Amino acid sequence: MTQPDQRTERVRRSGAEHLQRVLRLKVPQRQRTLGIAGLVLVGLLILVAVFAPVIAPYDPAERVGRPFGEPSSEHILGTNDVGKDIFSELVFGSRVSIVVGFTTAVSAVAIGTLMGLLAGFYGGWVDAALMRLTDVVLVIPFLPLMIVMAAFFGPSIPNLIIIMALITWPWAARVVRSRALTLHSRGFVESAKALGATNRRLMTRYFFPLLMPLALSQFVLVVPYAILIEATLSFLGLGDPTVATWGSMLFWANARGAFLGDAWLWWILPTGMAISLTVLAFTYSGYLVESLIDARSRRH
Amino acid sequence: MRQSLGARAAQYALVLAATLLINFMLPRIAPGSPLQLLAGSEIGHLTADEIAAITEAYGLDDSLWEQFFTYLGNLARGDFGFSYRLGEPVLSVLWERIPWTLLLAGTGLVIATILGVVLGSYAALRRNRLPDAAITGSAAMIQSIPTFFTGLLFLAVFGAQLGWFPTFGAHDMIPPEGLWERMTDLLDHLIMPATVLVMATYPATLLTTRYAMVDLVEEGFIGTAYSKGLGESTILFRHGLRNAILPVLTVFALQLGYLISGTVVIETVFSYPGVGHLMFEAVLGRDYPVLQAGFLLITVSVIAANLLADISYQFLDPRVRYDAARSTH
Repeated sequence: MTQPDQRTERVRRSGAEHLQRVLRLKVPQRQRTLGIAGLVLVGLLILVAVFAPVIAPYDPAERVGRPFGEPSSEHILGTNDVGKDIFSELVFGSRVSIVVGFTTAVSAVAIGTLMGLLAGFYGGWVDAALMRLTDVVLVIPFLPLMIVMAAFFGPSIPNLIIIMALITWPWAARVVRSRALTLHSRGFVESAKALGATNRRLMTRYFFPLLMPLALSQFVLVVPYAILIEATLSFLGLGDPTVATWGSMLFWANARGAFLGDAWLWWILPTGMAISLTVLAFTYSGYLVESLIDARSRRH
Repeated sequence: MRQSLGARAAQYALVLAATLLINFMLPRIAPGSPLQLLAGSEIGHLTADEIAAITEAYGLDDSLWEQFFTYLGNLARGDFGFSYRLGEPVLSVLWERIPWTLLLAGTGLVIATILGVVLGSYAALRRNRLPDAAITGSAAMIQSIPTFFTGLLFLAVFGAQLGWFPTFGAHDMIPPEGLWERMTDLLDHLIMPATVLVMATYPATLLTTRYAMVDLVEEGFIGTAYSKGLGESTILFRHGLRNAILPVLTVFALQLGYLISGTVVIETVFSYPGVGHLMFEAVLGRDYPVLQAGFLLITVSVIAANLLADISYQFLDPRVRYDAARSTH
């Protein structure tokens, strides 16, 4: 019984050695700097989201000033077309982005890892069927599909998360599947099979732990993507109408012609910067996480 | 390796079937009455006769199977439904918008591909040095800026503040006299949206080209070309690009999905009267027939483009033909 545990231990140890090698050699300085900068930004963003009620001077849903107010000591980023405080909306918007990004990524990667594991483990028709399914989902142009689905099911944040997860899981599934296929020929898997390990045990104790790092790197890829898509859908008028998100702030800025006057400086610019920086922060952290987890994964 | 043309075609048929099924099922499983979802939200304004006509046209009193065949039959006859919001058949609404999207997407695709391939090849030749870092780094950064944000900034800076370009539509309200004036008017309106579209799409082409070229450069024959004393542009285009073109072609086809998504957003920002802006209007007006037809049209064009890329693959890469002839896969 100690056999598998020793194996896992060895895998884990070689993983740690690998990680050290990566830390010392494989990650170029520039990438490491960017990655750490990204992680710091992500940390800041999470702090802002957690302490939003403390940081924001007003309730983002309240009309607290005159419409189209310019920046002043009371409203540092002015007010929007109905007199809500833009800075407070911006601060609270971070909550939506983070919740949507993380929930979508967790669901998409969970579905994807399960599908990829099943396809790669069983092969044969299970593999063929699941891979055809991922092909279909990947070829359908995602934004029009999401627009149609969101329009029919009604724009709410839970709906958006479900729809995005249903469309992004194939990425993780394909990566996990191709790695799972290679595991069958690994020595310790073959010996476990020879010792009569059940499929269930093989999957949960041998395949799954080795596929986890891959799933994690996919998670880091899906988070910024989900944030970007949520912002895009909200910008297209498909966001939750009851919550101010960064995308819907820009929807109203666009609808009210904020770009025509000076309002773009305090309405459009900070909001767009918030989205871009968030996406960039997650993307850069992704570089680091990815190269730390597996230097080889960068080549694929 | 790559699948045979037949397998790919079968896959696209599957995608088309899935799209039709999604389109058919959505109004019937979404919350609300199918009648309302098929007609758009103007149902309160419909007369009893019109309601009877819709029920008849979609066969709403029949079983689900019969409804599905009615749906397919309608599509086959070119009947995409009726937009009660616009008071026009969906097909004729779409027809007016398609040329604008083709103009915008075509311009964007050509420029983005050229830019991506040239910059990507150059970055590969200077790999891991300053030009490479600058080119790939800036591409990665541009990729994280949402398209609608770039668009809004262009509108504010080059449209409103500097007044260089018009901020609305594809042509002036009253088109100017004369062919030349009309052309420059169209171009004036096209420049900003096309530029933003290029910014949204060239990074993917660039990165693919760079990675494909780096692999090639390390294969050695590029080194041989250098040692023969050939000029850099000869090496780049005659030796490098000819071999890197296949992955670029694949990404070109994959790009189309992104490109179309990009046009939806960009047409919305710039009020450019294409299919994307039509879908935005349909979202706001809950004009479901138009939304569905737009979705179907976009999917079909992406499939067609993919198929086209697959076929040209056969001509460009003799290995594919050879493999396809040998293997049964």
